[in-house]
Amino acid sequence: MNILELRNISKSWGGNKALRDVSMEMESGIVGIVGPNGAGKTTLVNIIAGQNQASSGKVFYKGTDITSLPSYRRARMGIVKTFQVVRPFRSLTVRENVELFSKVRSQSNSEDILKITGMENFQDRFPVELPFGLLKKLEIAKALSANPDLLLLDEPFGGLGKDDIEKLSKFILDIKEIGKHMVIVEHKISALLPLVDKIVLLDRGETKFDGSVSEFKANEKIGELYFGGIINAGN
Amino acid sequence: MKIKPIHFLSRGYMISIFLVLLTAVVSIVIRSPFLTLSLTISDIFILLALAWDFSSGTTNYINFGISFFFGVGVFATGYFYYSFHLPVPLLFIMSTVFGILAGLVFTIPTVRVRGVFFTLLSLLLPLIGTSFILAFWTVLGMPTIGYFDIVQISKSPEVSLIYVSVLILVVLTLIYVVNSTHFGLVLKGIGDDESALVTQGVNSFPYKVVIFSVSMGIAGLAGAIYAMTTTFAGVDAFGLEFLLYPMVIAILGGKGKILGAIPAGYLIILMSQYLQQYVGDLTLMLFAALAIFLFLFLPKGISGWYK
Repeated sequence: MNILELRNISKSWGGNKALRDVSMEMESGIVGIVGPNGAGKTTLVNIIAGQNQASSGKVFYKGTDITSLPSYRRARMGIVKTFQVVRPFRSLTVRENVELFSKVRSQSNSEDILKITGMENFQDRFPVELPFGLLKKLEIAKALSANPDLLLLDEPFGGLGKDDIEKLSKFILDIKEIGKHMVIVEHKISALLPLVDKIVLLDRGETKFDGSVSEFKANEKIGELYFGGIINAGN
Repeated sequence: MKIKPIHFLSRGYMISIFLVLLTAVVSIVIRSPFLTLSLTISDIFILLALAWDFSSGTTNYINFGISFFFGVGVFATGYFYYSFHLPVPLLFIMSTVFGILAGLVFTIPTVRVRGVFFTLLSLLLPLIGTSFILAFWTVLGMPTIGYFDIVQISKSPEVSLIYVSVLILVVLTLIYVVNSTHFGLVLKGIGDDESALVTQGVNSFPYKVVIFSVSMGIAGLAGAIYAMTTTFAGVDAFGLEFLLYPMVIAILGGKGKILGAIPAGYLIILMSQYLQQYVGDLTLMLFAALAIFLFLFLPKGISGWYK
């Protein structure tokens, strides 16, 4: 059974069509969504998370139609999203940020989450005291504490330097190891490709590519058109 | 997950308890009717400030309707005393229950909207409620001007103050315990970033309904104390001062910092009681100006100053 399936998703903002008949199937692992600015990547992830409603089309999660469910109900079913711009709860400590979501599904263990994410030494600090790289990790730690099956990461590498990207990449693979599935929206294609099992390319709201990483890399036309050959250079 | 221990020996909590008890002791030792009345009035406004801060201070849903729920408590006390001659403890309970019920009626439709829309509704719905009560008061066979000679908490003002102090300590402890639990974390989360909270799996609506209803119940309780202190329940219970002073106290104490309301409450109300003797009705204007000053220059109140 597919963990996630999108059928003919369209979304309009006023007169602008942000997404046009986007369909996608995800069995397991990590799916990367790439594309130029304004391609509709974040809109698509927001629709999966229930933060925005699709104008038309259906979203299925583990075979269940979740199109009309609000975001908190989807999170309780196991779909949790992180934000492009980090949004920690600023009046709460790192530990409290994590504990906040520990009752969303089955009781998760905040201690374990702090340990897995390497935040245990910072648990009594407030977000304002953390460097940007750790705030990115906190964003993922918050999401993990809701015990998701499907994690939606919106530009996790945005604003990070090379070292932090490497650390976060390793961390994402560790999360995959513990059985979490992920959809990652990312601009930094060279950092994304080693992580994902499947790639979806969006442009102006339409699906231009949907296939394996090897097929994606082999497609010279896409490489030149969208990434100036960077697909292979990055690997 | 480990259950977080509640630290009843925390400095802020202990100082607050000490201040409340100190006022009761000072009143017994000095035996000045003016001071005892001023301290009782201070406690009433502190309860209102705690009620306001418990819900609006933590969630950032700014509620301008608290004076309505205070008025509900005042009128409920008058009604149940006149109609059923209920004893003082039951009058406290009934006014709290009516505050909670009015809070539910107010909260369920209003907390679905945020920001300025909620604030506007918090102003308009109580206005409708007040107009409704006043319009139908005589139709329902109630006294036109209000209820006089309501029972006092105790014949001795000092003993009354002790009862009121105990009620404050109960409410303070309730708020302190709630804020130390997961429920309290969610309330702070609503105040920080509600949409992120909801997206990540917490349905904020029931939390808001509960917290605003309980807070309005506390406002109703404050109304009962007021009615039994002044022995009168009338239209003035819906007055602007029952919104302005609690907000000034809560902001001076530090919005969302529940314990700051205690010292701020005694400071503000004792000052206003003394100022009232010299400048009369201008006192309210002076405190409105103080509210503006606090909003502009000391938004974190004395707790921010202390840091």
